[in-house]
Amino acid sequence: MTESEQRLFHGFDGLLFGALLLLSGAGIVAIWSTTGSVGFDSYFGRQVMYLAASLVLFFTLLYFDYHLFSDFIAILYLAAMAVLGLVLLFGFSIHGNKSWIDLGVLSVQPSEFVKIVVIVALARYYSGLEGDYLGFREMLIGGLIVFVPAVLVKLQGDLGTAVTFVPIYAALSAIAGIRRKHVVVLVLAAAVAAPLTWFALKDYQKDRIETVFNPASDPQRFGYQTIQSQIAVGSGGTLGKGFGGGSQGHLGFLPARFTDFVFAVLAEEKGFVGSIAILGLFLLVVFRLFRIAAEAKDRVGALIVSGVLGLLLFHMSVNVGMVVGLLPIVGIPLPFVSAGGSSLISFFVGMSLCMGIRMRRYVN
Amino acid sequence: MALEQESNRQLIQQRLNLFRIPVLLIFLVLGARLWQLQIIQGSEYALKAERNRVRSITLTAPRGNILDRNGVPLVDSRPSFDVLVYREDMRDREATVRFLTQRLGIDREEVERQFERHRGSGLYRPFIVKENAGMEDISIIEAHRGDHPEIKVGPEPRRQYRYGPLAAHLLGYLGEISEEELKSDRFPGTTAGQLVGRSGVERFYNRLLAGKDGVRRVTVDSRGREVDILDESEPLIGGELRLTLDLRLQLVAEEALRGKVGVVAAMDPRNGEILALASSPAFDPNAFSRRISGADWEELVRHPDRPMQNRAIQNSHSPGSIFKLIMAGAGFRAGLLDEDPVIVCRGRASYYGRVFHCWDRSGHGALRLEQAIAKSCNIFFYELGRELGIEKISEFARELGLGAPTGIDLPGERGGIMPSPEWKRGTRGESWYPGETISVSIGQGAVSTTPVQLLRAVGALATAGNLVTPHVLLHAEGGGDGPQGGWPVKRLPIAEAHARRLRQGMWESVNAWGTGHNALVPGEDICGKTGTAQVVGKEAAKRLGEGVEDHAWFAGFGRRDAPEIAVVVFIEHGGSGGGAAAPVGREIFRTYFENRRSPGAEGHD
Repeated sequence: MTESEQRLFHGFDGLLFGALLLLSGAGIVAIWSTTGSVGFDSYFGRQVMYLAASLVLFFTLLYFDYHLFSDFIAILYLAAMAVLGLVLLFGFSIHGNKSWIDLGVLSVQPSEFVKIVVIVALARYYSGLEGDYLGFREMLIGGLIVFVPAVLVKLQGDLGTAVTFVPIYAALSAIAGIRRKHVVVLVLAAAVAAPLTWFALKDYQKDRIETVFNPASDPQRFGYQTIQSQIAVGSGGTLGKGFGGGSQGHLGFLPARFTDFVFAVLAEEKGFVGSIAILGLFLLVVFRLFRIAAEAKDRVGALIVSGVLGLLLFHMSVNVGMVVGLLPIVGIPLPFVSAGGSSLISFFVGMSLCMGIRMRRYVN
Repeated sequence: MALEQESNRQLIQQRLNLFRIPVLLIFLVLGARLWQLQIIQGSEYALKAERNRVRSITLTAPRGNILDRNGVPLVDSRPSFDVLVYREDMRDREATVRFLTQRLGIDREEVERQFERHRGSGLYRPFIVKENAGMEDISIIEAHRGDHPEIKVGPEPRRQYRYGPLAAHLLGYLGEISEEELKSDRFPGTTAGQLVGRSGVERFYNRLLAGKDGVRRVTVDSRGREVDILDESEPLIGGELRLTLDLRLQLVAEEALRGKVGVVAAMDPRNGEILALASSPAFDPNAFSRRISGADWEELVRHPDRPMQNRAIQNSHSPGSIFKLIMAGAGFRAGLLDEDPVIVCRGRASYYGRVFHCWDRSGHGALRLEQAIAKSCNIFFYELGRELGIEKISEFARELGLGAPTGIDLPGERGGIMPSPEWKRGTRGESWYPGETISVSIGQGAVSTTPVQLLRAVGALATAGNLVTPHVLLHAEGGGDGPQGGWPVKRLPIAEAHARRLRQGMWESVNAWGTGHNALVPGEDICGKTGTAQVVGKEAAKRLGEGVEDHAWFAGFGRRDAPEIAVVVFIEHGGSGGGAAAPVGREIFRTYFENRRSPGAEGHD
């Protein structure tokens, strides 16, 4: 290791990285516990491989200055748009979401990676602006940067992922400087748009929202998922039923138990202690990101970290909120924990950017 | 530049700081919700999770077998399968109904009726939509376990009445317990869906016969498929009952009643053991002992001959001349017959300004008691009745158990009527006419008895005062042999010398060309008395179109010097007792004594 490299890695946040490893590990344990299978081609085996790939990517990207990405972001952004267009044309669907593309060895969901590209793009655009606050025109352009890919994702039928673009825009705009009147305008626009979108929603999506308020109204379908998820979490009690002891997860009462409802599996088997530990790890990650954003060397760095922070926070709170029955069922994964390569890898890419920003905070 | 950057940095830090508290709040809300679900409501949800995964399957216990006195099985159980619906695992009711009607060919109305019936009961409680499922049904259901986990096949022991309608009233039948019965205490220890006895022995000894259902608790997955057996308690088979009934006698009794309406009852007068009890018309209990009742039920209940009624204990009629035996007993009790009076029958006599006839209008001439019984002379007993008065007649008849249930171990027994002046005042508000006493003296008028009452009374006279409690239970496995201290036998003060004269009169009736000679079995000293009850009043009017015949009675026992079987035969509208009832008595006696001489051997004379 060269001296500059040593200096670089002096800024490596071991605590943050440890938290990420623990979260990923918890996810793998949950998958192991519910499937009981550890083969190469099992959910478990695949998740371990995804984690390995994520870590390789994580450390590789650390070597590159984040300005390299922000400077060439226009190319990356256009490439991302092109990929989304291709998915729309040639992608295949899983569970009605035509957001997957087959790369031969593995299927990926490009929309997950596009989110990171969008964060960097918006951060780059906002950071180049003069003045302490964003103007109306600048907010509009920023909005276009975020919502053009979001609409493409929505067109693929993946509402959940499309919605996750909203916190990116909100977080970056808030940190870049949003005027109070613009906040009012946006809130009003959202208030007007909300009932309109209600009509645009598919029936099953409406059902999902309705069942949050009254799960018993539809105990066979979405109400069933909400009820079963709450039973899983609640029955975990204080200390949980132990590894492999969760009947809700094992006997298939929980829907999507490796992916969207993986937190319910952990809550059932590890109890209140376990689920609070997971929340604690997320809290640690989030507050380390706050600090990295605050300490970032420049505006673009701070904005990138804020975007990743907003995205992560949104994913975490919506997913856990859904599992504990506070929010409607939306198919978005719990970062680092849910099974699935695209989500895991893209979040590690995002975290690698943040880590790089921290490591280069004093470098001129 | 650096300064600008520094101020910019401060601005970003300020803005970031704005969000620290709200973000913390999000974590607090989620943490609080976890506290609520896992700590506060943890045990509640643990219970729900348990109920999610554990299903209790009832393992129906077979009811105890019912045997005749020689150990021949009359009622037992055979294995069969039912089609059950577990609503807990049902996704789409319409799809379930469609599968049941189209694939299994169950009547849609029946399916809907079962759904409706069980609407109030817990979803975890399965219900039966088809009984006696065939191999084809079972394989269809097994093949669709994946898409129709709510439809299962369950083993169910099915009650089997080996001889169909034989002794149907005595054995009874089964039915599913109703909600009201569950709430009442009539069937202690039962649970919803169980079959309970509805009549006869099945009802009376339901508690002994009913086994104890077992439970198998299984783990199921979210689709309702069994994954594992948690534990199992074996069903306990119900107690076996051995009845006092003798199948060989019962078969003869049933055969004798074929196509007739009536009763044949046989009993051991020494201890009250019922040897045969047939009531005709009958029904096939196999058709009833199901959970799903067919349409034939209605038909049987509405039939004018009321086949569901056990005529041996639930119908009472005028005993006719059989009552003369009770009169004779009352005469002895009052000391009126000790002198051995002779009465001259001229075919008619006048009492209280009204003329009463003997059945033989030409008259019997001079008669002593024995001949009066043998010839069934009315005038002799008119005289006796007039001298006794209704109070003494009624008192003695009640002592013999008339006018009250005998206490037989079968449900729904009636008491009949033994009139007295008191009774008449109480029920009709009128005073007693002396002329009524004359009618009662030959078993007409208001006196009304069930066949089993007469059987018991005649038995008591034959055995010089041995008033037994008729019963059908000989021995119950694990349940003792009847009531505490055995079946009560009351000793009545009847002198052996008096009983001997009564027996002699009845012997002459059968063996010396009396009215009961059709009951004669050569070589056996059979004693008997016939009765012919006039059909009067409403009942007659209803039947006028068919040409009203009298009811025929026969009561007898054998042998004269050591009575061990008493028989009562009653044929509704059979005509004369000597012509219609006495021959049936003969068949019972013949069978009884043949088998007694060589048990099990047939055709021996």
